[in-house]
Amino acid sequence: MHQPILEARSVSKAFFGNPVLHEVSIELVAGRIHALLGENGAGKSTLINLLSGTLRPDGGQILVDGRPIASLTPQEAHQLGIAVVQQELSLAPHLSIAENIGLGAYPRRGGVVDYGRLAAAVAEIGKELDLVESPDTPVGRLPLGRRQIVEIAKALSIKPRVLILDEPTSSLSAPDVAILMKLVRRLRDRAVAILYISHRLNEILDFCDHVTVLKDGSVTADRPLAGLDPDGLIRLMVGRDPRNLFPPYVSRASGDLVVETKGFRAGGAVDVDFELYRGEIFGIGGLVGHGQEDFMMGLYGAIRAEAEQFRVFANGAAVRSAPFAKVADANAVGVAYVPADRRKEGLLLPHSIDFNLLLPLFASHSAERRKGAQETAITERLAQRLNIRGDRRRQAQALSGGNQQKVALSKWLALEPSVLLLNDPTRGVDVETKREIYLALRAMAAEGKAVVLLSSDTPELVHLCDRVMVFNKGRVAATLSHAEASEEAIVAAAMGVRKAPTLQGEAV
Amino acid sequence: MLGQGTRLYWAIQWRRNEGLGALFLVLAVFAVIYAILFPGILAVGAMAKFVQGWFPTAMVAAAETMVMLTGGIDLSVGPMVSLGSVVGASTMQGPLGIFGGVLALLALGTSVGAIVGAFVAIGRYPAIIVTLALSFVLRGVALLIMRRPGGFVPPSLSEFLAGSHPTAAVLVVLLVLLWKFYQATPLGIGLIAVGDNAEGAYRSGVSVTTVRISAYIISANLQAFTGLYVAAQTGSGDPLIGEPLTLSAIAAAVLGGVGFLGGQGAMRGALAGSLLMSILINVMFFMGLPLVAQYVVQGLIIVATVALPLIRASLRRAS
Amino acid sequence: MNAVLRLQRFAATYSRSLVAYAIVAILWIAASLLIAGFGAYAHLRYIVELAAVIGLVGIGQTIAVIGGGIDLSVSAVITVTAIILPLVTFDADATGLGAIALALLVAAGIGAVNGLGIGYLGLPPLIMTLAMATILQGLLILIAGGSAISVTNPSLDWLGSTHFLTISVSIMLWAIVAAVCLFWLHGTRSGSLIFAIGANPVVSRLSGVPIRRLTLATYVISGFCAGLAGLLLLSMNGQGYVGIGDPYLLSSIAAVVLGGTSILGGQGSYLGTIAGAVLLVTMTALITVVNASEGWRSVILGCLILAMLPLSGRDQSR
Repeated sequence: MHQPILEARSVSKAFFGNPVLHEVSIELVAGRIHALLGENGAGKSTLINLLSGTLRPDGGQILVDGRPIASLTPQEAHQLGIAVVQQELSLAPHLSIAENIGLGAYPRRGGVVDYGRLAAAVAEIGKELDLVESPDTPVGRLPLGRRQIVEIAKALSIKPRVLILDEPTSSLSAPDVAILMKLVRRLRDRAVAILYISHRLNEILDFCDHVTVLKDGSVTADRPLAGLDPDGLIRLMVGRDPRNLFPPYVSRASGDLVVETKGFRAGGAVDVDFELYRGEIFGIGGLVGHGQEDFMMGLYGAIRAEAEQFRVFANGAAVRSAPFAKVADANAVGVAYVPADRRKEGLLLPHSIDFNLLLPLFASHSAERRKGAQETAITERLAQRLNIRGDRRRQAQALSGGNQQKVALSKWLALEPSVLLLNDPTRGVDVETKREIYLALRAMAAEGKAVVLLSSDTPELVHLCDRVMVFNKGRVAATLSHAEASEEAIVAAAMGVRKAPTLQGEAV
Repeated sequence: MLGQGTRLYWAIQWRRNEGLGALFLVLAVFAVIYAILFPGILAVGAMAKFVQGWFPTAMVAAAETMVMLTGGIDLSVGPMVSLGSVVGASTMQGPLGIFGGVLALLALGTSVGAIVGAFVAIGRYPAIIVTLALSFVLRGVALLIMRRPGGFVPPSLSEFLAGSHPTAAVLVVLLVLLWKFYQATPLGIGLIAVGDNAEGAYRSGVSVTTVRISAYIISANLQAFTGLYVAAQTGSGDPLIGEPLTLSAIAAAVLGGVGFLGGQGAMRGALAGSLLMSILINVMFFMGLPLVAQYVVQGLIIVATVALPLIRASLRRAS
Repeated sequence: MNAVLRLQRFAATYSRSLVAYAIVAILWIAASLLIAGFGAYAHLRYIVELAAVIGLVGIGQTIAVIGGGIDLSVSAVITVTAIILPLVTFDADATGLGAIALALLVAAGIGAVNGLGIGYLGLPPLIMTLAMATILQGLLILIAGGSAISVTNPSLDWLGSTHFLTISVSIMLWAIVAAVCLFWLHGTRSGSLIFAIGANPVVSRLSGVPIRRLTLATYVISGFCAGLAGLLLLSMNGQGYVGIGDPYLLSSIAAVVLGGTSILGGQGSYLGTIAGAVLLVTMTALITVVNASEGWRSVILGCLILAMLPLSGRDQSR
């Protein structure tokens, strides 16, 4: 048995007192494509950061070629041949493609960068990845998918012995995905150790040799992939029948219209016709960056929007007849929005849970004094609804991802909104909290609220929503009823594939 | 292989000009206006005098840009230049003469830059407060060394730097060349990377701390030697002479497009900005406008430069 | 909630401000023991009177900094007020209050322009207020040239010289305005929103916080308070001249930082700024007494700010 090139042995890591990884071990062996599977929030990103030297473990060891390395840094990791491609790109928008690819490891002549060797290296890697853009192009001008290719090229430029890929295909076009797959297989044949993180189970089954499953910060499985099918994989990940994650589907949709718009345009979304009813959980799907987020932000008034027709109803009467010009207008008629990035857009991290919970209330009713007793009663009530426990004077940044998401969601409930726009509310959240959030959404629908759920997690759309609207290239590719909304149908619509109409009730 | 490298290098340099078109255009227009209004400026002597007047602003613009490219800011430029003039005028009488003065300034710039760099890059304290505190300290030290203007600058040095030689122009060219050289080194490119995406640069293996501290050290040295130049111009050291330069430095850097998030400006933009301001001041002076009109215009330029892109962006969002 | 817990919580929230008070207390006690006359009531009152000018400017500066911005135009506003008041005081205006109102209106108006540029046009506060300071500097020289303008304004004279129960009216003015500021920041919802904006403007915007309105208010308050400071300064000086306000820009920022408010925004308190202002004046007094030069004052001030840095909040991003 080969000695693993890169190994984590019993590593643990905690942030602000929250344990994220608990005695996790993983071995990356040459010539093997190793899948790392786990729910969002299971600790995959943290493990990658430990393996690549961006973070240091609180306990345990990182070993390279069998030797423990104390305090691995990104520089050292590069020298040892460890390369990472993470979802958050490490590129500098104002530097050219060539300068970005060579960043941190420029070929040198004297004290100066050797542009000749750099140009040659970039050309060589570019050929492997079909990088057609001119190497002097500032990276900031490229669309996200192309930037991801540059990021991959950068990892390849150090001639890695270990390549870690974190969801590399999330923003790539289909042809680029194929090129990447071919490249990874070539690297495996050249005895590179590869760690591959992806949500796409079919990709993993197709392509990987070995799998490690992380669940809530611990390893629950570490085995070759032979003999596993998608359900088996999911069972390893979730530890239970996937259908138990979601509450039973019950439609609470009423006939009362709450929002109606025709020809809606905002950001990258165009020509959207949309109707939302009270009691509905309305799903929005699509690949990242196809306009669905812009649609939601435009609906909320966070970005400029236009529409041929736009109406919001309350108690049967129209209370708004033009898209919201600003967020406060939306809040005033009962529309709330929970952003996808809770750390940067959803919560005031250094402030207390209490203050975060009170923020929207304060914002919309700002001409009042602070009253301690009244505020405590309000936050107490809010905390109970979603089961936020513990001292609420703690800073928001001290909470786990799941609890942070609960705060980000609960804070709006003080305003008793009638429409909740949720942008990927369960991203990076542990399984228990997910269940709690799903139950809460069902409860809100039962109360007569309307929930718009934008999600990159297709099972959520399938199991929770009354209807699903799928975006492709900025337009609505399909609006599916609960019966029609299967994973295949949603993914197909997202990819722009036209499916032949099926008989009602027939499985697609 | 060499041809490929050279082609890549110059292609990258050319692309760096994108976004600065408007500034260069305005600069060209005003340069032409200046020449038309006062054709005398085109004579070598007059041109040399103009460059001598421009030189300190250009140097501090470069110094401020370096710091702002890392995502920081330097509020101590003025006092540092004053201190440089004071130290320069105090250390050239010794046995080492002019060379001694140069050594002293090098020591001053490097030590101050290293200390500030350590506070900001290692201590992670906000640059605005560190340099604010530093401005007090440097001003105080300058006053302690020299209560009022004095000291001694060898007349030969004054003549060489600020007399009838085109030295200032040569120094500006030298400054640009040194910057271009620096920008071709890993530290120099690292500077832009850190300003753009510090976390990403760190993950790429760039030593963010080294890049930042180097920027502060080079910047401080530029400021110290500007002090020497000013001392040569006036013939003495002056503990308060540099005060107005802080504002000019920041204004020039902002004109050059250095956003306060770092990485967005080109050095050439800042130099162009400082040149534009110098030309404007001279034009107004020759037109008989009161000297103070320059302040008003400077302020308006700063606002316009920053406001226009914002207005354009919000108009674009509206459409 | 019982008193001990309340006290503990108060100390925790305001611990940074309390350090400044502690330093002031130590300096005052030590100086009173070692230097004859330092501890005399009249002398300490004089220190607080001088501190009132910095303290008033500090109100606007504190609010601006907590909100994530800064106001570099305060010194210019002080000078504007100090120069305008003598110019608009007419005989017909018996009490002189009309002129005072006009001067304060101008000061607040300048703040409003700042607030509009920062809040509605999105200009960075550093740039906007810096530009404003530059423009005002030019205009001031145009108006007043190099001369000093004397003032005869009955209300102002009253402000500068009256004492009620041995407390100067100027100190009472500061106390009243300070109380209003503290009440707004810590006792009202809109005041607490300033902290939110400073902590994270994106989160605030998406949560419905009226950022533009509050930003406008911040800088109008800053201009107004700088105007008050200018009036106070004028009442003490008798004349206004170009440059009268210059020392107060850096002093106001220093007072805010020494008081424990983070320059990055989102946290802090005006309570600390009060102590910071008194600390600054105390140090100047001490240095004058020991006959140290301006140079030493500057060095010590700078080192003091550096020493307070660990309290002032670090930049956690890389």
